[in-house]
Amino acid sequence: MINWLYTTLNARRIGLCLGMLLWAVGAFQSAWALPSYARQTGDECAACHVGAYGPQLTPHGMRFKLTGYADSNDQGIKIPLSGMVVASFERTAKALSAKPTAHTDTNNNTGMDEASLFLAGRIAPHVGSFIQATYSGTEHRASIDNSDIRAANTFKLGDLDAIVGISLNNNPGVQDPFNTLPVWGFPYASTELVPGYASPMLSGGLGQHVTGLTAYTMLNDSLYAEFGGYRSLSHGASIRLGVDDTGSSRVASNTYWRLAWMRNQRAYNWSVGLVGMNTGLKPDLTVSDIDRYKDIGIDANFQYLGNRQHIVTASTSYIRERQNLGATYAAGNSENDHNNLSRWQTTASYFYDQTWGFSSSLFRVRGSSDALLYTPADDSGSRIGSPNTNGYILQADWTPWGKENASSTPWPNLRIGLQYTGYTKFNGASTDYDGSGRKARDNNTTFLFIHTSF
Amino acid sequence: MKKSERFLQLAMAILLGFPLLAHAADAKHGGEVYAEACADCHSVKEGKAKKGPSMFGIVGRQAGTVADFNYSDAMRQSKLSWAPDQLSAFLKAPKQKVPGTKMKLDGDLNDAEIADLIAYLSSLH
Ligand code: HEC
Repeated sequence: MINWLYTTLNARRIGLCLGMLLWAVGAFQSAWALPSYARQTGDECAACHVGAYGPQLTPHGMRFKLTGYADSNDQGIKIPLSGMVVASFERTAKALSAKPTAHTDTNNNTGMDEASLFLAGRIAPHVGSFIQATYSGTEHRASIDNSDIRAANTFKLGDLDAIVGISLNNNPGVQDPFNTLPVWGFPYASTELVPGYASPMLSGGLGQHVTGLTAYTMLNDSLYAEFGGYRSLSHGASIRLGVDDTGSSRVASNTYWRLAWMRNQRAYNWSVGLVGMNTGLKPDLTVSDIDRYKDIGIDANFQYLGNRQHIVTASTSYIRERQNLGATYAAGNSENDHNNLSRWQTTASYFYDQTWGFSSSLFRVRGSSDALLYTPADDSGSRIGSPNTNGYILQADWTPWGKENASSTPWPNLRIGLQYTGYTKFNGASTDYDGSGRKARDNNTTFLFIHTSF
Repeated sequence: MKKSERFLQLAMAILLGFPLLAHAADAKHGGEVYAEACADCHSVKEGKAKKGPSMFGIVGRQAGTVADFNYSDAMRQSKLSWAPDQLSAFLKAPKQKVPGTKMKLDGDLNDAEIADLIAYLSSLH
């Protein structure tokens, strides 16, 4: 299976070069509504995605994902390939002190963030994939992105209606059907060209550097349970998949679990959930010490869909991480051998006519102070050794197609969005947070993006 | 018309008309129920298959007869004709009316919703 994946990805890379010719330069992290799924099922993007563009799933879309991306209307042979191109303009309130990548400027970057190719759709009955390979316009490099291959089936036992499946994926949380956890949570588009802040492992910290296998079930469209584990990609595989393998850090152990309860009342639906992940990480292969990260999270989601003219969604998640930094502490790179780190986010959105979207979100990161872990550094450091960060995101977007009456369905889809991220605290302070005089609000970011997928 | 008369008419309309209207099948409301409960799986465009077959011309159609649609054996062999009363019974309880059908509804529809839905479906020609 894995070898097959690698071979497929090499083929993808050739295709990727073609995609690259289309646009110019920029940066990013993302995810999506795939027209190849629309072609396979006959569904328009809006049937599976809130606001007619991915990744936020409706119950119909969740079911498609959980049944293995394999549902089809059986109308002819469909090729499970999609593409996506993302271009953007990014501006921070104050320019950075150094260029974030070799191909970008310290501020006001315009260009192509990424071009992606997806192998997305049914591979065999009950088997399907979401495999993304991405060329980054800011780093000028192609690599495997979020990927999920799954096999699933439905069973009926008396009154019990069960979906049972397994997922082979490369980012804990990418296989999750709810859009509450960081990997698939709001904002679905953001720029990487701004200073980052600390987040628990479950925020995609292992993304693309691991492969994992999880088994899951959804009972009566209500109870979702999942269990599995991840391990590091081998050095060779990392190279073949274009994944950075500069550090020698390795996952020594990992378990992942998820429980959620959901109710679909048709006009509206809601869910509440719990998630946990324990990771043992060897930051240095030459010593036997291990850093242990214990993440536990709670999340909730509400969607009012109604007749789809006015859609309102709200979601929240809180992830708390206990870090037992045996290895980092022994090596003198942290002040404490135990630290905590938590991340909270709440988002509300309104969509009119599956076309106009307005979202707002609040987020907060809190963690133990550690003067060796969070050190002063221009733009991205912390003067007082703290990861504490507070901010908000406002977004307005326009998605003209992706609906059944749109003439382009099921071909290209488009979203244009304007996003503003504001920080009231960054790495522990609102003024001079980095030790070089930068204010939290200097990182306030205006981000204009265009997503196209086909 | 005097102002007071007009007011009286309005009051009558509210008192009598609304309950009456609510009982008369309302195709417009049926369209909204359709958008909420059916449109994810059924297109109203002729010949367009989603998870379920097109609802174009459904009222009066023989069950399981859209060419190329991959029906369950149960639906194909049901020998039903989708007259309003049959449709109504199916939408009330799909798995009872056609045991073995692969159509699955989330949550029940009430009688008024079904009546409005059928009024809407009748308009799809
Ligand atoms: C989750 C997807 C789904 C939803 C929601 C759904 N249907 Fe269906 N429907 C199907 C499928 C699949 C079939 C084919 C059933 C079979 O072959 O057994 C079907 C079949 C039908 C048929 C028979 C069609 C024929 O050609 O014989 C009718 C009528 C129908 N649906 C009406 C509705 C109405 C009205 C609604 C909304 C209240 C609805 N459906 C909601 C999936 C769905």
